[in-house]
Amino acid sequence: MSVATEEGRTESAETVRKPPRIPWWANPRVGLVILLILLIALFTALRPAFLDTKLTLVPLQSDISVYLVVGLAQLMVLSLGHMNMAVGRMAAMSAFVMGLVHDQLGAGLVVSLLLGLIAGGLLGALAGLIISRTGVNSFVVTLAMDFALVGLITILYTSVTDGVAFPTLPAGMDALRFDTFADYCLGDVCGPRIPLVVPFAVAAALLVGLLFRFSRLGREMLMTGANIKAAELSGIPTKNRIVQAHALSGLIAGLAGFLLAANNGAFSASIGGEFLLPSFLAPVLGGTLLAGGAVSVLGTVLGATLTQVIYKGLNLLQFQLDQLQLYIGLVLLAALSLDRARHVIAERRGAKL
Amino acid sequence: MTRFLRTPDFTLAAIALLGFVVLAFATSGNLLSAGTLGAFFRFLAVPVVIGLSQMVVLAVGQMNLSVGALTGFCAMAAAWLMLEAGLPAPVAVLAALALGLGVGLINGLLVVFTRINGFIVTLATMTIIQGLRYGVNGPDTFQGYSAGLRAFGRASVLGLPVVFLCALVVAGLVGWFFARTVAGRRLLASGGSPFAARLSGISNDRSLVVAHGLSGLLAGVAAVITVAASGSVNASIGDDLLLPSFAAPIIGGVALAGGMVSVTGTVLAAFLVRLVDVMQAQFGINPRWIDLIIGAVVLGAVLLGTVRQRLHDRGSTA
Amino acid sequence: MLVAENLIKTFPGVRALDGATLRVSPGSVHALLGENGAGKSTLVKVLTGVYQPDGGRITLDGDDLRLTGPMDAQAAGIGVVHQERNLIPAFSVAENISLHHLPHRRGVVDRARMRAEARRCLGLLEVELDPDAPVATLSPAQGQLVEIAKALSLENRVLLLDEPTASLTGDEADHLYAVVRRLRDSGRAVVLVSHKLEEVFAVADTLTVLRDGRSVASGEALAGFSQSRVVDLMVGRAYEQVELARREVNAEAVPALRLADVATAHGHRDVSLEVRPGEILGLYGLVGAGRSELAKAILGLGRITAGTVEVHGKPARIATVGEALRRYRLGYVTEDRKDEGLFLDQQVTRNIAVTVWRRLARLGLVPDRAERRLALDFVGKLDIRISTPRQVAGQLSGGNQQKVSLAKWLAADCDILIVDEPTVGIDVRTKAAFHELIAGLAADGLALLLISSDLPETVALADRIAVMSDLRIAGVLDNDHDYPRMSRQIIRMIHAETHAEAA
Ligand SMILES: Nc1ncnc2c1ncn2[C@@H]1O[C@H](COP(=O)(O)OP(=O)(O)OP(=O)(O)O)[C@@H](O)[C@H]1O
Ligand SMILES: [Mg+2]
Repeated sequence: MSVATEEGRTESAETVRKPPRIPWWANPRVGLVILLILLIALFTALRPAFLDTKLTLVPLQSDISVYLVVGLAQLMVLSLGHMNMAVGRMAAMSAFVMGLVHDQLGAGLVVSLLLGLIAGGLLGALAGLIISRTGVNSFVVTLAMDFALVGLITILYTSVTDGVAFPTLPAGMDALRFDTFADYCLGDVCGPRIPLVVPFAVAAALLVGLLFRFSRLGREMLMTGANIKAAELSGIPTKNRIVQAHALSGLIAGLAGFLLAANNGAFSASIGGEFLLPSFLAPVLGGTLLAGGAVSVLGTVLGATLTQVIYKGLNLLQFQLDQLQLYIGLVLLAALSLDRARHVIAERRGAKL
Repeated sequence: MTRFLRTPDFTLAAIALLGFVVLAFATSGNLLSAGTLGAFFRFLAVPVVIGLSQMVVLAVGQMNLSVGALTGFCAMAAAWLMLEAGLPAPVAVLAALALGLGVGLINGLLVVFTRINGFIVTLATMTIIQGLRYGVNGPDTFQGYSAGLRAFGRASVLGLPVVFLCALVVAGLVGWFFARTVAGRRLLASGGSPFAARLSGISNDRSLVVAHGLSGLLAGVAAVITVAASGSVNASIGDDLLLPSFAAPIIGGVALAGGMVSVTGTVLAAFLVRLVDVMQAQFGINPRWIDLIIGAVVLGAVLLGTVRQRLHDRGSTA
Repeated sequence: MLVAENLIKTFPGVRALDGATLRVSPGSVHALLGENGAGKSTLVKVLTGVYQPDGGRITLDGDDLRLTGPMDAQAAGIGVVHQERNLIPAFSVAENISLHHLPHRRGVVDRARMRAEARRCLGLLEVELDPDAPVATLSPAQGQLVEIAKALSLENRVLLLDEPTASLTGDEADHLYAVVRRLRDSGRAVVLVSHKLEEVFAVADTLTVLRDGRSVASGEALAGFSQSRVVDLMVGRAYEQVELARREVNAEAVPALRLADVATAHGHRDVSLEVRPGEILGLYGLVGAGRSELAKAILGLGRITAGTVEVHGKPARIATVGEALRRYRLGYVTEDRKDEGLFLDQQVTRNIAVTVWRRLARLGLVPDRAERRLALDFVGKLDIRISTPRQVAGQLSGGNQQKVSLAKWLAADCDILIVDEPTVGIDVRTKAAFHELIAGLAADGLALLLISSDLPETVALADRIAVMSDLRIAGVLDNDHDYPRMSRQIIRMIHAETHAEAA
């Protein structure tokens, strides 16, 4: 049933010219890396303590881990072109369940973690279910859910605990908080100075990357985000994909809640309060669009790293709160504009074969 | 007429009216007493204007995360001009409006020239403005400025606060702008289908700048109303405005994708949110429950809207 | 006189125009012809300021013309109807028509003048449309007419029409060509891009043929060419249309797809059809007869309110396209490729492979190599012109996009395929290739339901033809491939139906 004649094919080969090689520095990820190096150099020049392992680098890695996972939670629904305005509160509910399971039932670390993640996943699934069944915008649904959960969380904490946090933590959480791999040795060989929470974030990033790059599930989520009508007409169960993406978003948000609880040393009501903006910053800085259909996990890693480096560096420079905010905004704008300039130059070069 | 009955605006109006009547009964008429009713509408003015401010950028498919911070910054600037610089109130008011417009234009120009998503640009400018807002007077409060302005904030005509009437006039103007003026239609065309708009000779870049500028100007209006109605301002003003600014237009039926506006819907939705606030004050409910209730009300409203639509669809095809 | 010389336009990976030349004189209709992807639309866009050329020169009456944007072209008196629809859905018909020059008094839109202008332009086309109706409520054909009216609203010296009749019925196209002739007689220049050569030969005076971005004929009088000569020029070698092989359909076989007295929420009544394995059932009707809606109802995208749908003799309840594909091996190639058929900003390979991920996946993971091999196989089979496998579908020319949306369903390996207007906007050679392909699929035992508004195509391909009119089946005819006879019968059938309705 081949229709193309041999001539036809050679002819089309003629019109197909070799695509222009895109210069390596045109890759947006490269731009972020360069920016990152520049900033680190700047902060180190101003405050050599920036490269101090114990004071800066170890806590920095813990922070990056938390906010990377937060960014991944948002990335899950950005793939659909949706938003999850309740990431923070899903993380908080999830952490509450972890605390509750441990506190009331005496469950260990693993069981608490798993039950908490399931709770987060269920909340996300609920949001996804409402969105896919009613067709109401995800922004509205998750925003309303956020409002509802804010109230619920305070009420729950006041009725179960002293109102702020659970008094105890499962065994092992302390190690996650304070230890690095350098504290674990095999004979003379000790691990690097990397906090124990880092592998959680790395594993999450790898799994999400795998999901979108290779799995049918992730690809179909992206197709749903790219054009939902065409996806439905191509036989993709779009409603299920929406529910699944939101469920995973909730689950990953739960993991972020857990990591923050580990860093803070408590399952508290305030977990997730600061998650919303960073959750967008990391993926969007990394080149993910809000429109859906395309995501970049590596970009999210770099985006999360960049934001945390900025925060940490400015903190170290001991700015007042207002100046700190001012500079964070300015650095962000400068970073983005530089990135944009690079992109424009690359485009100009690319257009001229 | 039947077409009107099917609009989302009608659903919202019905819910708002019902809520109001129920609340009036539940407070045994207390809500209708002159003082309470006045306060109800006085504090409705800012949510209405701030909702419109967000709606204007939503119309071109953008978001403005800096509206709340900008309102606070303009308010602080106006108070500073009156108290520290000793300028008369009208000048300070004009300056606040100009400041809002200026910052809005900067937002728009940044979006156009850097081609960065407006969400991110305004996120960055929001943090900058928050810093500036705090910089005006640190943690301290401005109060005791222009008596005339404060009297204006408390004045009423026919039992309705003047500031609320101002908000309605602003809403009317915004509605007229989008419905009838060439500039307004161009904004909507850009928001609805940027490529088609470009082919018709409309500059999408200009639409973006105009929308952000207008959004900033409206934030300035909200700032003036805040300064007039509240009698004192500090650096925390505007922090709690961001979510309501989205809630009003979106509950009011404005799509995030751009290309449409609903002024009536936005005003009615702001009214609804205000009702819930008052309920809390009247019954001394734990404010936490209020968040839960607002969330539930929003979800309920959207669900009801969809159900109505479904029933309507079924009815018309059968 | 509009002259474009040696135009060059390069997109990343493709040189769409490679020295194209076009000469159009006032008072003439100029045909711009070429295969899919030859660069016709790109040339139209360069001439109207949408794209800036990388080289070459455009002059109007001898003066250099620099077009930095669509406004410049408008100012120079060049009007255009692009191949793709470009209307604002939420705006009214009148507003869309006047969008580039909204009449106003001190910044306030003058609606009375706007409506009057819309009535005038629609009147030129003899179209009755409510100027206040939102464009979103119009059919594709009506949208097309509004777009044309919009181009007529300015008193342009040059009018470029890029496949204006692709979604119009014969009557509507006739009105359009009457207007085109009137414009020509009043001294304007009209450039017409179309794959319908009969129409082109009926109306055009001169022609330009593009092949791979180069002009292989430019400005010659059309009278000196025969249709087959033009096709040879477009293709680049002597081209002969292959006769389709005749197939035998086993009339005894159990129908692969059978509808019995089906009624739908859309308003279809008493629809009964049968398609046997190896058979092509043509579903012919005028635009708006309800054929696509019927297809969508079968696939669960619309509600079936009465009657039964049977697949291979067993009652089928289909709720989603996914279910149709998995359980019944039933596929649907959509009519509207831009909105429903393609993922414009995704790679071509993914667009083709999306229906087979389920089959390719191992433990939920899709092997890249297998996906690419399968997709490129279809790229070769259908001769889809791509520059790299990573090219996104939105960058392909219209005809190549259509091929991608068909390739997706061929890849899915279905038993039953509903094909909706497969050759709208497709060049002669590809169209013949499509026909051969569709006939080949039937010969391989597929059951095909061919929805088409192209009567010659339907008569050439179908074994039997069901005629649909006003949401009902007016009748089913055995096709004897005698075009004049069949077309007369079908037209009579449609008219009888509408008369019965009126009585
Ligand atoms: N925006 C774009 N980016 C990259 N490539 C493009 C773009 N637009 C067109 N092309 C390429 O340029 C070539 C010419 O496309 P064009 O749309 O002009 O063809 P056409 O002659 O109009 O074909 P058709 O008859 O199918 O409409 C094609 O190979 C197409 O893939
Ligand atoms: Mg074309």
